[in-house]
This record gives sequence, C-alpha cells and structure tokens, in this order.
Amino acid sequence: MPNPMLVTPILEENLLRILWDDDYLSDYPFTYLRGWCPCAVCQGHGGERNFIRVENPQLVSVGLVGNYALNPRWSDGHETGIYTFEYLRSLSERLATQNENSTES
Amino acid sequence: MISEQAIRDQLKRITYPGSSRDIVTLGLVGEIFIKGADVIIHLRSSSATQEVLRHISGRITSALSAVPGIKHVAVHGGQPQGTAPQPPPVAAPAQTPLPGVQRVIAVASGKGGVGKSTVAVNLALALKALGNRVGLLDADIYGPSIPLMMGTEATPRAGQDKKIYPVEKYGISLISMGFFLDDKSPVIWRGPIVMGIIRQFLRDVLWGELDYLVVDLPPGTGDAVLTLAQEVPLNGGVIVSTPQDVALLDVQRGIAMFQQVNVPILGIIENMSYYLCPHCGEREDIFGHGGVEKTGLEVIGEVPIVEEVRVGGDSGKPIVVQQPEHPVSQIFLRLATRVMEADKAIRSPHIRQHA
Repeated sequence: MPNPMLVTPILEENLLRILWDDDYLSDYPFTYLRGWCPCAVCQGHGGERNFIRVENPQLVSVGLVGNYALNPRWSDGHETGIYTFEYLRSLSERLATQNENSTES
Repeated sequence: MISEQAIRDQLKRITYPGSSRDIVTLGLVGEIFIKGADVIIHLRSSSATQEVLRHISGRITSALSAVPGIKHVAVHGGQPQGTAPQPPPVAAPAQTPLPGVQRVIAVASGKGGVGKSTVAVNLALALKALGNRVGLLDADIYGPSIPLMMGTEATPRAGQDKKIYPVEKYGISLISMGFFLDDKSPVIWRGPIVMGIIRQFLRDVLWGELDYLVVDLPPGTGDAVLTLAQEVPLNGGVIVSTPQDVALLDVQRGIAMFQQVNVPILGIIENMSYYLCPHCGEREDIFGHGGVEKTGLEVIGEVPIVEEVRVGGDSGKPIVVQQPEHPVSQIFLRLATRVMEADKAIRSPHIRQHA
C-alpha cells in the first residue's frame, strides 16, 4: 500500500495535490474530495457511498490521522472526514480513469 | 530583467527528495517576486518537513544564483506577505508526531492474561540497557499494573500549563493511570473519558527527549487502541501471545487492527513460550509450539516460563533490572535489539520524513 510522501494544498487552483511514495501524483479538486467524504454525516450509516455536491468547498487545513489517514477541515466547519490512504489512492485512480475516458470520447 | 517563466524553468530541474517529480510540478513553488536582480521564492505550505524544506531551499538558491541577471535569492517556506490569503497548515498540531519522541512502539495482545505488561516493562528496561532514552506509557486504563511492576508509588509532579512530569524509575520515564487512582477503586469509565486520558498521557506529559516510547496497550482491540493509532503515528507494533493462543481469533484481530491503521508489525513475542526446568535445564513446550507460522509473522522473541520473571513483577523489580545476567534478561535484551533492528528496517509509513 503506497503512502503519501508530500501533501500540498493548492488554494489558487482549488485542489489538493498528493505525491505518493511510489512516485504517483494525485490531484484532488476540492469539490471532488469533499464530495466523496466518507464520514457518517455525509454518507449515513451503511449502504453505498454517494457523491455529495457541495458548492465551492474551501479547504482550511489537512491533518494527519495516526499513520493511516488524512483529515481535511473545511471552511464551512465540516471536519469529520477521515480518508484512509487506501481510500484516497482509489479516489485518485478513479478520477484519473474518469478523465481518461472523457478525453477519449 | 529575468522573467518569471525562466525562473520556473530553472526550478523545474529541482526534484523532490525521493521522487522523480520536480518541485514546480508538485505545486511547492508558490509566488515568485522579481525586483531587479533580486528574486524571492515563496514555497507553498505542505507536509514537507523542515529538513526537506531546508534542502530544497538550498537547491533553489544554488540553482538561481548561478543564473546571470540574478544577484540575490531568498526562499520563504509558507507564509506569503501582504494581503495574500494565509495558506492552510498541513498536519494540524494535535495530530503531529510527539515532539522530542523519536519512535513510538506499541505492545499489544489479542486478549488479556498473556503477560503483555511484563513484556512491555522488561522490553522498555532492556531498550534502556542498550543505551536508549526510554519512556513507558501504561495505556491500560482499566487495569494499570505498571506502577506495581516497577515498584513505585510516586505521584507525577505537576508542571506549568497543566503539564505533568512522568515518574522516573530505573532510568525510564513512566506514566500510568495507576498513579492517579486509589488502589482498590475499579475503573468504570465511558469511552470518551478513556480517550481523553490517553490523549493527555500523550500530549500533556513532559516526556522530554526520548528514543523510544513504549506504550503498553490495553488488551484487545477497543477504543483505547484506536485512539492511540489516530492520535500519534505508531512506528511499530509488537504483539504478545502465548504459543497456543497465537493462532486464535483474538490475536488475528490484533494483527488485523494494526494492519488497518497502517502500523507495521515488528513481530510476535511469544510469552510463556516454554518451561525451563530449573533443575535439569530441559525445555518443555507445555503450551505447544509452532502456531505462529499460521500468522505469517516473525517471532522476534520467546520468553520462557521462569519463576524469576513473575517474582520480578510482583516485587516491583523487573528481572532485567534485578538480574541482568539471568538468561531471561538476556532474552529481553535480544528482544530489544530485535525491536530496534526491525524498527530500522521498516520506514515509518506516514508522510515520509527524510532522516
């Protein structure tokens, strides 16, 4: 399981950039990152994860949770999302696939 | 006058340590100010450590100083001046590694009664005997046994700002719920209070400079363990088990728990591994043997059933201190060495520190 090596919020572009220790580079637009927040407030309990649309979310800070997750805090006070590295990586790969597919079509 | 693009092109040649990616692509380079022959580079706030930032700063200064037309280079990491918005801090203070503490090693067991605290205490003392500065955090809130095992009835001193000094005994620093409780009162607290106490033990105790903080976890895989895993990056976990328990569901759960929170498992310590007859010196595997292969983990030590270990615990003078030459003390010393080796072999998997 690759781990983040460098986490850089890029406010001007409304995205969070993560460099992984296998040299993979991920960009998480804030709307995308916030939209896939895995917390129970956003997703409820049990069932599938759904994308939650939030208008123009602003990232305030990103905390490290133990050894295994990141905790983004947003300007609207939302801060209960604990994104495991595994989850973050799969979100990034999914986005990359989506982008590839949309440029192909 | 030199152009911003030309400067960016120069900076694009500087790679981030440990990566093939350059600092511009990584988004580390924020604003670039050019005034005549003077250049100021602002680096964006990120999770990069001070050490890495110093390195990058140095590379930037060398690279740009060599460019004709540039006389003066300044690199600022983080805050732009003036009316630019504050960049967000990364890794909020409450969740950073403990200042002054190099490594945090957790000692866990799938279930109670396997001698975890005995192992934790002797491991901590053995690490100390090997020249490390060691702290021992008894996170077993419900059954804190470490003060008894270490033979101390001291009370931690209060410091400034509601901080606490740990108790010193046998050359290591200790903190335990046992220091704050009346002997006989059972501890019946709700989860949030336990979590709060563990946080305080981590953050409000003046541990000072430690090479290792050994954390004696409560048995099982409940709240306390999860809080610890969330609050501080555990550098390694050691699982204590008896030989026949090692294949049981409880230990499997302990292993799964560590894996889920990304804590590298340094290995298993088999406690009560075998019985050493004090008369003839023969070894009897009374609790069976060989179950550990099923876990896929390495046994980094076997501690036999020897009366002195229990006596050490009961008398408040653990065997490593009481009889350093005893074969079992030697086993703990080897164990401590193995922990140090295994720990070095596994890099801390959290946002990488470039040591």
